[in-house]
Amino acid sequence: MARGGSDRSRLLLVLLLVSSLFLITLDLRGVNLAGGLRSATQTVLSPVENLFAKVFSPVGNFFGDAKNLGKSRKKIEELTTEVDKLTAQAAINEDIAGQLNQLKGVLDLAGRGGYKVVAAKVINRGSNSTFKQTITIDAGSSSGIEKNMTVISEAGLVGVVKSVTSNTAIVLLMSDPTFKIGVRIAGTQSVGVVSGQGGDSYLLQLLDTTGEIKKGDVLIARGSDNNRPFVPGVPVGVVNTVQSNASSITQNADVDGITNLDKIGVVAVVITAPAEAARESLYPKPAPVVTVFVTPTPTPSPTTKK
Amino acid sequence: MSQLRLLNTSLFLLITFIIQESLIARINFPWHGFSLYLAALLAMLAFEDRTGSLIFGFIGGLFLDLAPSAQTPFGQWALALTFIGYLFSVNRETIGDFTDRPVAFVTFISLASALAMFSFLVLGVLLGQENGGFANNFGIILANSIWTFFITPIFLPLIMRIRRFLLSSRDLI
Repeated sequence: MARGGSDRSRLLLVLLLVSSLFLITLDLRGVNLAGGLRSATQTVLSPVENLFAKVFSPVGNFFGDAKNLGKSRKKIEELTTEVDKLTAQAAINEDIAGQLNQLKGVLDLAGRGGYKVVAAKVINRGSNSTFKQTITIDAGSSSGIEKNMTVISEAGLVGVVKSVTSNTAIVLLMSDPTFKIGVRIAGTQSVGVVSGQGGDSYLLQLLDTTGEIKKGDVLIARGSDNNRPFVPGVPVGVVNTVQSNASSITQNADVDGITNLDKIGVVAVVITAPAEAARESLYPKPAPVVTVFVTPTPTPSPTTKK
Repeated sequence: MSQLRLLNTSLFLLITFIIQESLIARINFPWHGFSLYLAALLAMLAFEDRTGSLIFGFIGGLFLDLAPSAQTPFGQWALALTFIGYLFSVNRETIGDFTDRPVAFVTFISLASALAMFSFLVLGVLLGQENGGFANNFGIILANSIWTFFITPIFLPLIMRIRRFLLSSRDLI
């Protein structure tokens, strides 16, 4: 500012810096300024997000409708329009079928775990300027959703509810680098922690130094106190590569997430978990092998006849 | 700076912010994401005078702090972008050399957006936040800069036109 800066600019700079620091201090001291303002912003944004979700999710619908504008055309044009319409309808049906399949899968998983869930559609993703990996779902406190509830997909864990408005909720995805969850290996029961890495891969740190990890091991959520933020028994991932590092105290492994977070359209928020933990029951077990035991029965000999 | 200009530019930033949060954010980019809002804000700051850079940096930061997905203290983006606005204001003459050449200007916007995000991260570290590993954050910043470099030329003429429209007659002289 020394280079040609006026006193007024300098005063303005100080004023703005002090204002920013004041706001940060208020927030850090527990004045819920940000929560209220962000909830208000989310409430304002949710109709726009819903609108864009409707417009851009079934893209075929948009183009189909645009093509249907000209109704007084020649026969061939009508037929072409009809074909386009049917094609668009097929695309919509495919979109709906995809969502229905995901919903069926989610409800199936919830049913197996005995969870009471609220299904919701993903309507938006978080901006990269927040450095957080989040999604916005179209169900909120009016549907019984609260902060720190587990969010699942048809395959397994998706994330945790971080903030809620009346009609929407922000979900922190399990791929976020700050996300951590306690897990058990389904077979050996060894416990560990899975952390997000910002991508499709996750890091498993086994807490049990004597435990073993091998490729293909399935990781199941251990659950939290009062089932918040994690309900037990939800599949989290599958071990892909075991890291061999002799100097490391804990055993580590790279894990593939059980849910493809790029392609989730429908999720379910677990409202209540069963009193008895679901444990491994949610992961499909291999088909039982039928074993037949043959026990020879002694043939009655003539001498034993009475 | 007139109150009307302050109001209509803030309104423009708010609309851009809503577009960013509800439309651009839902686009699944192949590598991380792109912030249209940050690019538009920095492009506007580059053409502002000293006072304008500071004020719109602060206001633009406040809008970013409103992002529903943010988990950071309210005011962190405002502080980071006030700092960026300050850098813009003290380097006004240097920035003037970039604004006349499109490629240089787009490169400048890309680098400025990276600097803004980096400042935000550094502030987060100073405030004791956990924002993930270095590699991940570096990837987010780099990806944003790359997308900004390629996408900004598409909408930059529109931003410039809107900015000219928002200027009062006195500002145009």
